[in-house]
Amino acid sequence: MATREAGKKMIMLKSPDGMEFEVEEAVAMESQTIRKMIEDDCADTAILIPNINSKILSRVIEYCNKHVPTTGATGAAASDTVAPAALAEDLKIWDAEFIKVNRATRFDLIQAASYLNIKGLLDLTSQTTIDTISDNSLEEIRSFLSTKNDYLPEEEQTIRRENQWAFQ
Amino acid sequence: MLALVATFVFSCLLFLSKPCARDMRLFLASISQQLALSLLGFLAGYRLLGGVASRATATAVDAMPLMPSFKRKRPAAKLETTDTTGEPSVLDLPELAIDCILAKLPPAELRNMAAVSRSMRERCRSDHLWERHMSDKWGSVLGTAARDEWRSYLSSSTAAGGGASGCGSAGSGKHRRWVAALSCVCPVVSWMRPRADGGAGTSGGPVLDDSIMSWYLHLESSEFWFPAQVYNREHGHVGFMMSCYDAELSYDFRTDTFHARYPPHGRRTVVLEDGVQWDRVRAPPVGTLAHDLHASDCLHELRPGDNIEIQWRRNKEFPYGWWYGVVGHLESCDGNEHFCRCHLSDTVVLEFNQYTPGSRWRQSLVNRKDHREEGNESDGFYGGIRKLQDKDEISKWKQLWPTDILE
Repeated sequence: MATREAGKKMIMLKSPDGMEFEVEEAVAMESQTIRKMIEDDCADTAILIPNINSKILSRVIEYCNKHVPTTGATGAAASDTVAPAALAEDLKIWDAEFIKVNRATRFDLIQAASYLNIKGLLDLTSQTTIDTISDNSLEEIRSFLSTKNDYLPEEEQTIRRENQWAFQ
Repeated sequence: MLALVATFVFSCLLFLSKPCARDMRLFLASISQQLALSLLGFLAGYRLLGGVASRATATAVDAMPLMPSFKRKRPAAKLETTDTTGEPSVLDLPELAIDCILAKLPPAELRNMAAVSRSMRERCRSDHLWERHMSDKWGSVLGTAARDEWRSYLSSSTAAGGGASGCGSAGSGKHRRWVAALSCVCPVVSWMRPRADGGAGTSGGPVLDDSIMSWYLHLESSEFWFPAQVYNREHGHVGFMMSCYDAELSYDFRTDTFHARYPPHGRRTVVLEDGVQWDRVRAPPVGTLAHDLHASDCLHELRPGDNIEIQWRRNKEFPYGWWYGVVGHLESCDGNEHFCRCHLSDTVVLEFNQYTPGSRWRQSLVNRKDHREEGNESDGFYGGIRKLQDKDEISKWKQLWPTDILE
């Protein structure tokens, strides 16, 4: 079974490139996929995360560490003297800093969040994409998606017409 | 669960159909993994899966199940990805992540995304993305009759050759025939005529098919008139205060209000009203048509203080409207709860307190045992009764209470 350290249950996460990360169980359980494994008693001392390299996995763990409910578990963010609103604000700033990565890393994080089923991280990482889609014209979205317009001219016209009315 | 099994089987077939050991892309595995996780977890628990990859290493490592990945279905992938920069595209994300992004887009952006490319269109038209938007925006005003009307609108437009042409290649056949599944108890209101002109096909406007997106956009576009009910019709006309009448509605997105068309009262022509606010519209709570007598099923349980709606019409050619009232005490009762026997009496007193005391509209008596339609040409006819159980429904009526007492 999982080792015990300073009264906290620890879990070992292994990336496919051989790195091992020892994390508190509560932190690992921010991932619903891992939570399910632990709850179903399928996780022994270590869990191999097959799809996520160590660089991304370490960032995911960093995120989970920060976002795990703060009741005495993580220390740094948890302080009885800090009001919840200030904590939330602190988290927001931290998130904004966390997501300042290039697109490739961001996409890796989206994939990891999706695979590990970490809703907060998936929301955070996909928000930039959603904002981009919301703020840009059709052509800009196409270029952002690296997608070509593959409609025939008459189809294009129909779509243009369809998009003219409503939502204005 | 069935859907899950089906999808899983499908993904396995896909997997088996191509030699994927070489080009297996782990990060594309999410969906099949998620499915496999839940499916096999459900069937047998994860332990069966553990160790596929790790037992051989003779460590105590429990592997997360490494399930076969499958190439995402992107028939036009080569065509559409201009892979010049080497930058990853959103389209390379796992299905689940893309869906998660699409699910968070508001309707306008989702529709915009649908215009990006063919494959995006197919994806963005998918019912599961629109279900939430549909119920968020339209849920409160659409009932069974509106669904029926949409179905007949669809079939009449398709029959007229107007509808789903052009780029509707999104595979309407693929869409679940969910409208059919919601098939209705009540036929389309008789005064409603499916519009023969077909609307959308010729003059632009949204593609017509049986997807939820299509219905959403048609509602949004004012093209589609649907049956619903309007409180305090005709801008709170004094003759209709505290009532709710059937009408045909179409949405006006410019003003975020509705146009209402009320069916004729006898020789009176159709009445039109513009600018009907959202809070004055409701989905018909029962299937009873405007000209039919509602079968009251609550008479035996009515007690003083109960909130009710009763059908009322001026004369027998008119459609009924639903009128709000409360059950009152008999004249012989002083209202003292310890001595009140009103609920045992055969006579039920209905009070319409929006009218001034002494007004002939203020009170009506109905027989608890054999109430059907009762009344006469001067007082109008009182029809079926429904007892209001829902707190929201009751508080809705209270919000609509007139500022002045009615004569």
